[in-house]
Amino acid sequence: MEVNQDTIRHLADLSNFALTTEESISLVDDIKEIVNYISKLDELDTTGVAPTYQVFEMDNIWREDEILNQDATPDELLALTPTVERHQIKVPQVL
Amino acid sequence: MTKYIPTVGIECHVQLCTKTKLFSEVDNDARLKEPNSCISPVDYALPGMLPRLNKEAVRLAVRAGKALNAEINLESRFDRKHYFYPDLPKGYQITQLFHPIIGAGYVELPNGEKVRIEHAHLEEDAGKLSHEGGASLVDLNRAGTPLIEIVSMPDMHSAETARMYVKELWRAMTYAKVTFGDLYNGNMRFDINVSIAEEGSSKLGTRTEVKNLNSFRSVEKAVEYEVKRQTKLLEKGEKVVQETRGWNDATGETTSQRSKEEAQDYRYMPEPDIPPVKLSREFVMTESQAVATLPSEHRTWMRGMVADDVTEILLDYQSLVEKLAEVEAVVSEEKKTNIIKKVANLFSSVLLAEENTSLLNDELPSKEQLINLAEMNEKSELSSTGMKEVFLKFFDPEMHYKTTREIAKELGVVQENDLSALEAIVDSVLAKPETKKAQEDYKAGQEKVLGFLVGQVMKESRGKANPSSVQEILKAKLK
Repeated sequence: MEVNQDTIRHLADLSNFALTTEESISLVDDIKEIVNYISKLDELDTTGVAPTYQVFEMDNIWREDEILNQDATPDELLALTPTVERHQIKVPQVL
Repeated sequence: MTKYIPTVGIECHVQLCTKTKLFSEVDNDARLKEPNSCISPVDYALPGMLPRLNKEAVRLAVRAGKALNAEINLESRFDRKHYFYPDLPKGYQITQLFHPIIGAGYVELPNGEKVRIEHAHLEEDAGKLSHEGGASLVDLNRAGTPLIEIVSMPDMHSAETARMYVKELWRAMTYAKVTFGDLYNGNMRFDINVSIAEEGSSKLGTRTEVKNLNSFRSVEKAVEYEVKRQTKLLEKGEKVVQETRGWNDATGETTSQRSKEEAQDYRYMPEPDIPPVKLSREFVMTESQAVATLPSEHRTWMRGMVADDVTEILLDYQSLVEKLAEVEAVVSEEKKTNIIKKVANLFSSVLLAEENTSLLNDELPSKEQLINLAEMNEKSELSSTGMKEVFLKFFDPEMHYKTTREIAKELGVVQENDLSALEAIVDSVLAKPETKKAQEDYKAGQEKVLGFLVGQVMKESRGKANPSSVQEILKAKLK
């Protein structure tokens, strides 16, 4: 997989990160190294092997439809937010 | 000039009417509640929080699948769709891309056309954003509301068909009781994909997507607008750009939102926090059987008995067609068509008349009351007007427990059909000097005066005589 400045910029955009030029240059090498490491897995022949969704061998972990008290109240949760306006979370404008 | 054929596919998000959210145990009904009052640490995406799947949402999805005539996949899984936006603080939406719970199905339209369903999947709704003063305000009450997204095949070729499809989908989903179906509150939202291609061409044109339509009318208008806009572009030799467009209900226009070039890279991956859902055949069977008779099934039995346009009006009211079906189940074959037709017409022209629609909130008349009413009219014991009067009294709290005959008698609208009794009244009218001239005129060939004589008899009977019987008797006597 080709990793270059464009790849890094694209990833930064998707993650909403602002990167300096130096950071994006040094990240090219870092990401390359990570991808190379993971690429080791390509050496395995997985023909006919179903994709692994989970490793716990569980299914149907579900619950009944009942309202329960939560570990934190809505007000406690909102208190974690830097700016609250009229009980809403205020963020820089997105459109 | 080249003729262009439109092609339309529709994605519909249906909010399920569970008590709690899809992955957290907080109230799913945030109507009239303060913003961010129905939220949990899971919805807030606090580190380490694990989603817990709501079994009721799975049940409702299976029922929705039944209403879509669809295969239910006995094994389904969840995936993460990543995007960075404050309407979902996790940074991803939990959805089902690779193994959806509902497979291929179809929706049958009133005209018999079938729109195929590609699949439908379970996913969580996102929060609501409002933009003001250079900032955005986030309300997470809706974040985590269970949705099924129903993806149709591009089987529709006109704005009208698109409208018919979304309406029929709304009926199917509300009949199956998987959603409240309140469009005003966004319980069902539609994304339409529209393209046009030259007639006879085997290749589809470039499509545009209009997102977040929340009424049948806006779906129809948006398709109409896009077809016109795209046709104009092609006629000018320009190209349609593949993009997402927004709908402005006030202007009736779509506007470009973002083009697919800078597109979306969702980096889907299996959701490791939710193990697969494996359903037994018994589970699927039990849930499917819990689904009420669907609108298309009602349409089938009503065909031939009720006029098509009346059927389509009544199908918007599940309680009315179900009452009609109750009647249908108990009346004998030979009387069936007449009785069903009369009851259907009372529902559509009296109950659904604007001044009476508030009665829809009341308990409907019993099937016995309705059958007796139709039969009394059939036997001419009640005129059409009398039938309507009695029908409305079924909703009167003072009257609704009484039988049809009791109410009709109380209102004094039972018609006199006893021929000998009628003849006596006719004789007494003919004996009156003031009718002599009319009798002579009639005999001289002036048939119009018969109406006057019938009127005199009706008056004498205080409105209880059956006018067509009176007419017959008069004709015989004046020969």
